[in-house]
Amino acid sequence: MKSILVVDDEQNIRFLYKEELEDDGYKVSVAATGEEALQKLDNSIPDLIILDIKMPGMDGIEVMRKIKDEKGDIPIILCSAYGRYKQDFRAWASDAYVVKSADLRELKLTIKEIFNQRIAG
Amino acid sequence: MTESSISLEILQEVTRIANSTLDLDETLQNIIQVIKNKMHMDACAIYLIDESDGLLHLKASMGLPDDAKRINLKIGQGVTGWVAQQGTSLALSEAMQDPRFVYFPEIEEEKFHSLLSVPILADCPPLGVINVHSVEKRMFQLEEITVLETIAGQVTGCLRNAIQFHQNQMMLKETRILYDISLAVQSTLKLEHGLWVILSAITMGEAGGFNRAMLFTINDKTQCLQGIMGMGPDSQEDAVRIWTELDKKRGSLLDWVIKETQSDLIRNSKFNSFVCGLSYPLNPNDNVLSETVLQKKPFNITHAKEHPLVSQEFIDALGVDTFATVPLIAHEEVLGVILVDNRYDQKRITEENLRFLTRFTVYASWVIENSRLFSKLLDTNRELLSMKEQLVQAERLSALGEMAAEVAHEIKNPLVSIGGFARRLKDKMNTLSKKREDSDELKSAANYSEIISNEVERLERLLKNTLIYSKSGALETEECQINKLIEESLYMFKSGFFEKNINLVTQFEEDLPLLNLDQQKIKQVLINLVYNSLESLSMGGMLKIQTYLEDYAQKQKMVTVRVEDTGGGVPQDIFENIFNPFFTTKHSGTGLGLSICRKIIENHGGSIRVENQIGKGVTVYLHLPLQMGLDYYKN
Repeated sequence: MKSILVVDDEQNIRFLYKEELEDDGYKVSVAATGEEALQKLDNSIPDLIILDIKMPGMDGIEVMRKIKDEKGDIPIILCSAYGRYKQDFRAWASDAYVVKSADLRELKLTIKEIFNQRIAG
Repeated sequence: MTESSISLEILQEVTRIANSTLDLDETLQNIIQVIKNKMHMDACAIYLIDESDGLLHLKASMGLPDDAKRINLKIGQGVTGWVAQQGTSLALSEAMQDPRFVYFPEIEEEKFHSLLSVPILADCPPLGVINVHSVEKRMFQLEEITVLETIAGQVTGCLRNAIQFHQNQMMLKETRILYDISLAVQSTLKLEHGLWVILSAITMGEAGGFNRAMLFTINDKTQCLQGIMGMGPDSQEDAVRIWTELDKKRGSLLDWVIKETQSDLIRNSKFNSFVCGLSYPLNPNDNVLSETVLQKKPFNITHAKEHPLVSQEFIDALGVDTFATVPLIAHEEVLGVILVDNRYDQKRITEENLRFLTRFTVYASWVIENSRLFSKLLDTNRELLSMKEQLVQAERLSALGEMAAEVAHEIKNPLVSIGGFARRLKDKMNTLSKKREDSDELKSAANYSEIISNEVERLERLLKNTLIYSKSGALETEECQINKLIEESLYMFKSGFFEKNINLVTQFEEDLPLLNLDQQKIKQVLINLVYNSLESLSMGGMLKIQTYLEDYAQKQKMVTVRVEDTGGGVPQDIFENIFNPFFTTKHSGTGLGLSICRKIIENHGGSIRVENQIGKGVTVYLHLPLQMGLDYYKN
């Protein structure tokens, strides 16, 4: 079973993602802040991380840099309420960028693609 | 009284007069009076050689008709001329019989029989001649000749004093005028007015006294000497009228010139238009004007027709055969030429005139140079000001956009939850309704959920469109060198750095890859950053700007611009708000426009980071990506 870490400061969104992804057969853990996510990574490394960008404290882009620098190349999907950060070159270090939507089909599709790519590669 | 005691008395008297007053004309007149009365002569005259024409002029006389004053003798002409030439005395009892004698009706010489003429000797040639005439035919005693020669010696002393005095006066005058001119020139930064003062001083002033002056400057584009100002009367009549007018203003002439604001008058003068229409190529051996520039030395042309550097066309245009040119030099660079002539009174241009003119041109050079620098400063200021206005404007717009984005973001998250759970609810209801028999209620509940999720979808679309719309300013990017862009932005602050005693240190990594940037917008950012630093460095200090290439997250290459100042940093409460557009618009100075800076950098796909060390200073990092990555996620 593939494991996914969801990092988002909005409790309801964490809850929504967890429910939806678990329904799809993934093992889902959650973190409310970047710091909490990094702590979690000390114990176990998930197969994929879904990272919100705009969070109080360390933002998603910074968290991503730390993960990529310290934990190696774990697939990361950056998630944001709008596409503003898409043009930030720092975001390009991620494996995908998805604009948040109530319709989770795009997110789920992206997750599948990444897993398929990784298997192929 | 004996002959010798009379002689002694005369000499005593003359010595007293010679030492008493400094006005030469008065002295000479007094001496003549003593000679005529004490020696019992019928007439007495003193001729002096005029330096300007080399002729003997009658300077003082007694017992001669008034018309005699008009007499100018060549050296060697007549008895007087002969004495001046030979430097020896001549006593004639029958002057008119002498072969050297030339008759001048103005002196009415037929009245006199005897003439004693003695030279006023200096070194060589003599300075002039003293004549005494007697109606009665007589022989001059040796004693009398000796007395007159001694008096002539006294006159030499007087003349020397007078010349000395005149030179001192001239020097004093020169100094005073130069001082006045320098004051006048310093008081104006307007090129036209400054030049007008200079040319006025050259033409109307007592110092230069040239009839006309023309100013030419070098046109870098055409490599020509272009006439830009001419001052002088348009015609002989005009000259007379102007000089009469000027005569009345004598004394306060310079004041008048300086205060005078009727420059329209000069601009509209025929002569000025004439000069402005002149243009001569700046080639070696082509014309006297370009030669003045190229050789950096003045020319005093006395026979223009025979001069190899003066064309007939030039002579015809000027209408004179005699003129002088002087280069205008500032910081060892020639800016142009001043040409002067004496078209209307035909006075010779002496070396003294030229020397004086050369000094004047120094001021003219200053005027041109000052005004050039000043207008450059004005341009730079204007550019800075408009930049600042653009920034403020952009900042306000950005503030609105920022607010819209902020609100949209805040709405988006709950919407995702609402819509997401509504979808789940609908799916759950549908699943349940299939399991149960009595499912109508559940079906309608699923329908309600669908309505919620559809409406949320609609809101999401609306937000997306709004956000796309509010995205500020499209970029006009082109490949450019960031180092060059920084240099250009820093150029505007050059004087600011100097004034505030700021030490600018730049460390640019060479051969940085070209970046795709909107140069104008990035320049705005740089100017903004430097401006902020400058504000904090009011007491001086260091501003350090570096550029370098580095990796980001081991995946991306980027160019970083690091701007560090030693301005002491900003208080923490202000620092927390530096990117807040609503905050910065209210506080001019610290953090002005940082939010717009961030916007611009972000639009380039870059990022901006600020470090604040209270007590030390602020360091700003601009990270710019090597490629524009708007399409990055599409593949």
